[in-house]
Amino acid sequence: MAAPLELYCWKGDWGLPSVDTDCLTVLAYAKFAGAPLKVHKITNPWRSPTGTLPALKTTEESTRSLSKPSNIIIHLRKQKYNADYDLSAKEGADTLAFVSLLEEKLLPALIYTLWVDSKNYVDVTRRWYAENIPFPLNFLLPNRIHNQQLERLRLVRGDPTLEPGEQLEKELYHDALECMTLLSQRLGSHKFFFGDSPSSLDAYVFGHLAPLLKVKLPNGKLQQHLNSLDNLRHYCTNILILYFPSEGGEPPIRKVSVHSDSSDFDSEPHKRRKQILSVLFAMGSMLGYAILMGIVSIQHIRPQAALVGPRHIEEGGEEEEDE
Amino acid sequence: MSLAAEAFVSQIAAAEPWPENATLYQPLREDQILLSDCASSLAVQAYLRMCNLPVHVSCRSNAEYMSPSGKVPFVHVGNQVVSELGPIVQFTKAKGHSLSDGLDDVQRAEMKAYMELVNNMLLTAELYIQWCDDTTATEISRPRYSSPYSWPLNQILAYQKQWEVRRKMNAIGWAGKSLEQVYEDVSQCCQALSQRLGTQPYFFNKQPTELDALVFGHLFTILTTRLTSDELGEKIKSYSNLLAFCRRIEQSYFEDSQAGSSSRGYSKGPSLF
Amino acid sequence: MGTVHARSLDPLPMQGPELGVHADDIETPDMEQESKQEVLENKDVIVQHVHIDGLGRTKEDCLTYEIAGVFRAKNLIDVMKRAHEARQKLLRLGIFRQVEVVIDTSQGVDALPNGLDVTFEVTELRRMTGSYNTMVGNNEGSMVLGLKLPNVFGRAEKLTFQFSYGTKETSYGLSFFKPQPGHFERNFAVNFYKVTGQFPWSSLRETDRGVSTEFSFPLWKTNHTLKWEGVWRELGCLARTASFAVREESGHSLKSSLSHAMVIDTRNSTILPRRGALLKINQELAGYTGGDASFLKEDFELQFNKRLFWDSVLSASLWGGCLLPIGDKPTCIADRFYLGGPTSVRGFSMYSIGPQSEGDYLGGEVYWAGAVHLYTPLPFRPGKGGFGDLFRTHFFLNAGNLCNLNYGDGPRAHLSKLAECIRWSYGAGIVLRLGNIARLELNYCIPMGVQSGDRICDGVQFGAGIRFL
Repeated sequence: MAAPLELYCWKGDWGLPSVDTDCLTVLAYAKFAGAPLKVHKITNPWRSPTGTLPALKTTEESTRSLSKPSNIIIHLRKQKYNADYDLSAKEGADTLAFVSLLEEKLLPALIYTLWVDSKNYVDVTRRWYAENIPFPLNFLLPNRIHNQQLERLRLVRGDPTLEPGEQLEKELYHDALECMTLLSQRLGSHKFFFGDSPSSLDAYVFGHLAPLLKVKLPNGKLQQHLNSLDNLRHYCTNILILYFPSEGGEPPIRKVSVHSDSSDFDSEPHKRRKQILSVLFAMGSMLGYAILMGIVSIQHIRPQAALVGPRHIEEGGEEEEDE
Repeated sequence: MSLAAEAFVSQIAAAEPWPENATLYQPLREDQILLSDCASSLAVQAYLRMCNLPVHVSCRSNAEYMSPSGKVPFVHVGNQVVSELGPIVQFTKAKGHSLSDGLDDVQRAEMKAYMELVNNMLLTAELYIQWCDDTTATEISRPRYSSPYSWPLNQILAYQKQWEVRRKMNAIGWAGKSLEQVYEDVSQCCQALSQRLGTQPYFFNKQPTELDALVFGHLFTILTTRLTSDELGEKIKSYSNLLAFCRRIEQSYFEDSQAGSSSRGYSKGPSLF
Repeated sequence: MGTVHARSLDPLPMQGPELGVHADDIETPDMEQESKQEVLENKDVIVQHVHIDGLGRTKEDCLTYEIAGVFRAKNLIDVMKRAHEARQKLLRLGIFRQVEVVIDTSQGVDALPNGLDVTFEVTELRRMTGSYNTMVGNNEGSMVLGLKLPNVFGRAEKLTFQFSYGTKETSYGLSFFKPQPGHFERNFAVNFYKVTGQFPWSSLRETDRGVSTEFSFPLWKTNHTLKWEGVWRELGCLARTASFAVREESGHSLKSSLSHAMVIDTRNSTILPRRGALLKINQELAGYTGGDASFLKEDFELQFNKRLFWDSVLSASLWGGCLLPIGDKPTCIADRFYLGGPTSVRGFSMYSIGPQSEGDYLGGEVYWAGAVHLYTPLPFRPGKGGFGDLFRTHFFLNAGNLCNLNYGDGPRAHLSKLAECIRWSYGAGIVLRLGNIARLELNYCIPMGVQSGDRICDGVQFGAGIRFL
């Protein structure tokens, strides 16, 4: 058997295996299909081979890597890791339809509630990303993602002057609540959407709903509605318990899987290079700042440079959490 | 239209019956309208005919800008203006006209899901082919879109529109797709629709719903519109039950001999026969 | 073009001549020279040299026209008078911050005994001047950046750029102005601009992007301006609740028009004149040079001022205009006339007279408006000779009408239509002059001839503007 595929995704928190919808979808699908992935949970999208997360590094051509969840799932399916094997043609059609429903109705509201709603964004999303993304990207990336997501909402709604506000929130949430209700009705009392075993649709639904269920948001209208839909709530917790038992809300216990016990440092030489580069960049910018402000003196720089040292070590520590 | 307005509208709308002078606005049929707008407009017309609600079709070169959401078509009923199929369905429902009352919860969920499938894949694919395929954009979309305007406004507006659609494609991750991949998506979508339809006359058995109107609007328009290549139509033609479905709706709701269906203002494009 | 044609969005105010120097300010120049008159009055002199000191990038050739008159002086008084005129001409070019005149006897080998040298000591304006403002309006803040390059190429050409960045809208304007050397009134200007206007009385938003070129020249006692303008206009509803009539007008259009304006102005001041008359005639022909809009638009403005007893002034104005669509396309909401408000027919809300649909005023194709004012100084004249002179009290009687005509009906029907349903109002108030460009009014109005659909403003009404009926 060839070397396992490598998946890069955002690290988890709040009892989730990853904080990002797309990453969650891919992770869940991989679990459902039993694909033996080597997962790198990272907090710096610049270290992924595509520059975005999630990313799957495929084995055939070393240069090729995939980043869209649908493409990753298709690729896994081609590798015979197919969670939809047992579905009838009609169920396959339903999968396509409900994934569209999620993308059109729930996703915009999810983006809004996490990235655009100012209270949620400032109190939770930005804080989390700022704390977890390594310096100096943590000052840059959250804002950039925020702007990208707002722009995306504008384009999807076809209104270039769209401003975040009550009106927009109302419209998006109306669609999203309806979508959750429809999902709940479709799920009924089943364990999964199509019978007793999970499929790709379950991965998508889980990816979209789990963050809403777990992340504590100050403005939680969507969460309230999700909590009122008992079957959907149970469905998500069930998947978490069954497929991600290590993420029990406690700090993740390092679970050694067959494929990930080797350290990343050995297998990823360019990673260390990037780390060194980023530390150098940080030091360079600090020095530059000091010179600009006219406070250059060895006594001043030393302690600042010393601050970078431990961070470097911290990052190393995070790497070892990889499963 | 806005939800606040919508809720308000529903309240008044319920009190008022459907007026005789309801009007549907769309871009100029001969020279201006593009595939995606034409499909959306036909879907709304089909829906209103299924509901047996008369509507007069009016073509305006500025329909897109008249619409409160910037999207066509929209209907002007009494003193209300409602755009796009989804809100129009809600609006008619408030007036007591609904096609989906007979469905159970699961069926309704499936119906909505399939409607989003059409919007998510067929509509996006239509937009992609119109504006991101260079041949189609140069030969058809830009000249048609800008036909009501004089130089240099025609150039500016057409490129502005193209730029906007391309940015949208970028945002939803379609920018990296090739034309072949888009055709593949359309094919996949049609296959899903074909599977779902099976041998039934309509998607939910004997009675048409808004899903039938939407699917008809898109498929019929794709089948009867000439593009630079007919590959899009060919994708649909390989599903015979979808073809039959389009014919069935065309015969039932758009043939003038049919009693009860208002034919005012509808001059049909090329028929399927 | 301000009040009645609210739709004709003038670009940011940056047309040609500066408004800084005005008749009022230059009225009393010659007084201080009188003491010397007795002695030097009859002595013949020859102006031998005229120098201009302090020139940097200004080209001398264009200044020679301005100072040529000084050489023709025959005696000292004449020299002083002409030198003063030349100084005013130099200042008017808008390229000098300061101009001083020094007159001295000629020096040097070829000096004549009665020869004089005149020296103009000038200080040029800086190559580039900038300004920065912040403005806060209703629900919107904006930042205005202005850049001015006076005297770009050394011959009094002027390049102005204004950029306004708002929370909702951005506007900009770039204009280039070039006078003919020696004939400052004969000038040429090119403007590029983008302006956004919001018109709540029509629930309309308009964004204009355009180019205009204009050529101004004096002819006998009149001033003429010929102008070509190409505008891309984008109309949209201001709110979702806008009436359908306004909704139907939404969208893009292109207007290309040729216009001609003629002005005769013999008034002593533009804002609170005491004497003189004004006649402005403006005509615009759109459609022949391309574009989507075709119409012929004519309008005029007439004002007479007569000084009465005790510094009071009687002023009468009449405005009128009509818009004729060419071809079968109806006129656009952005081209029509609007009437009403504190700057035109007082006692009515802003532009809230005439045809309307669901509360949105649609404007009319023909209008007239007339007013009689009696301006008097403030009672008991506080602050006379100073601050108090900026104020006037006035009593007014306004009337006007705005409607659409069916052009098939013939002139008699038109006149009778304009004569019926006349809106009129009367009242009194206080007027404040702000510099020489604008005025503020606080009036108590009693609207009388109110027609159904008009929105009135009964009682106290405040107005600010640059053009008043």
